[in-house]
Amino acid sequence: MAGAQVEEKTKPSRSILWVARPMLTAARQFGRSLLRPSTIVYPFERLEDPKFRDRVGIGSGRPIGVGHIWDNYRGVHALNIATCISCNLCAFSCPDLCIDMVTVPGGDPKHPKKSPQIDYGKCSYCGFCSDACPEGCLTMTTRYELSVTKRAEMVYSPQKLQEVFERKLPMNPVRVERPANEDAILLEPLLCIGCNACARDCPTNCITMLDIPKVEPKPGEKVAKRIWKEPVVNDSDCVRCGTCISVCPKECLFWGIRT
Amino acid sequence: MTTSLLSVSIALSSVLLSGVGSIFPAPIQGGLTNGNTIDALGILIFGVILLAASMLNTIFLIWWERKLLGRFMDRRGAMHVGYAGLLQNFADGFKLFRKDTVRPRDADSMGFFVGPTAYLVTSLVIFAILPISTGWNSGNLPLSLLLAITIFSFAPLFIFISAWSSNNKYSLIGGMRSAAQMIAYEVPILLAIVAVVIVSGTFSLDTIVTEQQNYWYWGPLFLAMVVFVAGMLAEMERIPFDLPEAEAELVEGWNTEYGGMMFAYFMLTDYVRVLLGCFLIVLLFLGGWTMPSWVPSAWTSFPLAGIFWFMLKAYAVFTVFVWIRASLPRVRTDQLLRVGWNRMIPLSLVSIVLAAGLVLAKCLPVFGCLPNLGG
Ligand code: SF4
Ligand code: SF4
Ligand code: SF4
Repeated sequence: MAGAQVEEKTKPSRSILWVARPMLTAARQFGRSLLRPSTIVYPFERLEDPKFRDRVGIGSGRPIGVGHIWDNYRGVHALNIATCISCNLCAFSCPDLCIDMVTVPGGDPKHPKKSPQIDYGKCSYCGFCSDACPEGCLTMTTRYELSVTKRAEMVYSPQKLQEVFERKLPMNPVRVERPANEDAILLEPLLCIGCNACARDCPTNCITMLDIPKVEPKPGEKVAKRIWKEPVVNDSDCVRCGTCISVCPKECLFWGIRT
Repeated sequence: MTTSLLSVSIALSSVLLSGVGSIFPAPIQGGLTNGNTIDALGILIFGVILLAASMLNTIFLIWWERKLLGRFMDRRGAMHVGYAGLLQNFADGFKLFRKDTVRPRDADSMGFFVGPTAYLVTSLVIFAILPISTGWNSGNLPLSLLLAITIFSFAPLFIFISAWSSNNKYSLIGGMRSAAQMIAYEVPILLAIVAVVIVSGTFSLDTIVTEQQNYWYWGPLFLAMVVFVAGMLAEMERIPFDLPEAEAELVEGWNTEYGGMMFAYFMLTDYVRVLLGCFLIVLLFLGGWTMPSWVPSAWTSFPLAGIFWFMLKAYAVFTVFVWIRASLPRVRTDQLLRVGWNRMIPLSLVSIVLAAGLVLAKCLPVFGCLPNLGG
């Protein structure tokens, strides 16, 4: 019954408005977009073209201090292999595990140089890797045209990322400042066997093996016979990559505040 | 007698046949150039020309709708294939053509394939009946209006057949709605036509148009035109009366199960019917190919001027349809039925009384005095 009452209320005058009002609205919209609809003819025009910049930039709620939305865009990565120190931090920080460290020329046989290879099939363009990179060699550009026809082509080798870098595309300026890291690599001297693994693998060569005479003789020895080597970390060069901790066979390196 | 499409095609066929016949020995040549053969081939050529013209028109109509609808929605519509996307529909058609026709396992194969074919064929047949310009149809049938409307209203039957044989609940609901809707709009459409027939005194479309030489019927029969246009919208199953398709609720309505070329048939036929609806509206209410006398005669006397103006009017009517489609939401079934029975039928009855009154009072020529109504 309630429905019937509602129906009776629909007066003819109202039902004419029901037709006329939307038609007027549509006509107005038609007139507005007759010469120039809002659509941007994408492959031929782009949002970042100068003629659209002002139109889109104003009122589109750009974040303060960050420039236009397209400047802020996180697209394909650019990698400068020459300055990459193979610290692994990018691969560590990637939440999607899409970075593989692959060997690139430039290292020595004992200490191969590795640089990131990114699988764009998995990448979520979060930018953590470029934030983590201590050398600023892995950055994000604003290029977004990445479609390919084969899945394998989605994996960008370091060389391919280097090509992106060489094309000098506009870079995403947003880069989180690396906070001053108070943590330092500390050593538990009693466990260290002086194997040199950390110093060999440190990407910044900030570990020096210093000769430290063992004061305490070993059980059964009258005097300390051997000169022991122990790593000493130069905190200002250390990029806090943790490589030394993971390579240490005796687990004698750990994070801590140096006192 | 002005040239007609039929006479042109018969002339073409006689030229062709005598050309071909001259290389053959006498008995075959005699058979080829005999009047019946020439007529038969002429009718065939006529059909081919008509088919090609109506198909091209329909495809152009789809393009026009896509472009217009795009502007209504603040976008561009088809852009890249051909100039301004003119060839986009051919590309789409080719894509559909290459696709498989998949028949659901439990579908009735007879109805599933006969339905769309009959839908397309019965819609195309009407093109042969509607006069586009003086003499440009196959012949002046005395009851052409009635014939056209009859064939036009076959469609829900075939829609229902294909929906039923698809064996899919959405198709079936769509087909049911199509059948239910038909009852609501068919009566007002016929009543509105009665008003036209009362004023013109004939069922022949040719004569109805010639009667409108002095005044187009949209003035005196405005009410009938409104009813007829609304009924046509429902007949063509366009928004706001596209309940049988209702893609938001019914997937794709009665053509849910059709893919590939069968879907293309349906799509094409929908627009064939839209074009036919526009033709009918132009023929009945907008003076067909005639133009008011205040239009400079240079504009109406160039070759094929009749077809030009006729098409222009038809596309203008279609533009209004697109405008309506861009503006109005889809109505509910009960609303459609209420509009049909409670509004359109009384309005069309009123328009019949009005038409009869106009004829009795002999005040029709009054409308001829108003220049903007034609004259
Ligand atoms: S931007 Fe991609 S590669 Fe870099 S950390 Fe995020 S997901 Fe990993
Ligand atoms: S974080 Fe930077 S320096 Fe370290 S491996 Fe990755 S790209 Fe190279
Ligand atoms: S964390 Fe260890 S390996 Fe990494 S830079 Fe610092 S000292 Fe070298």
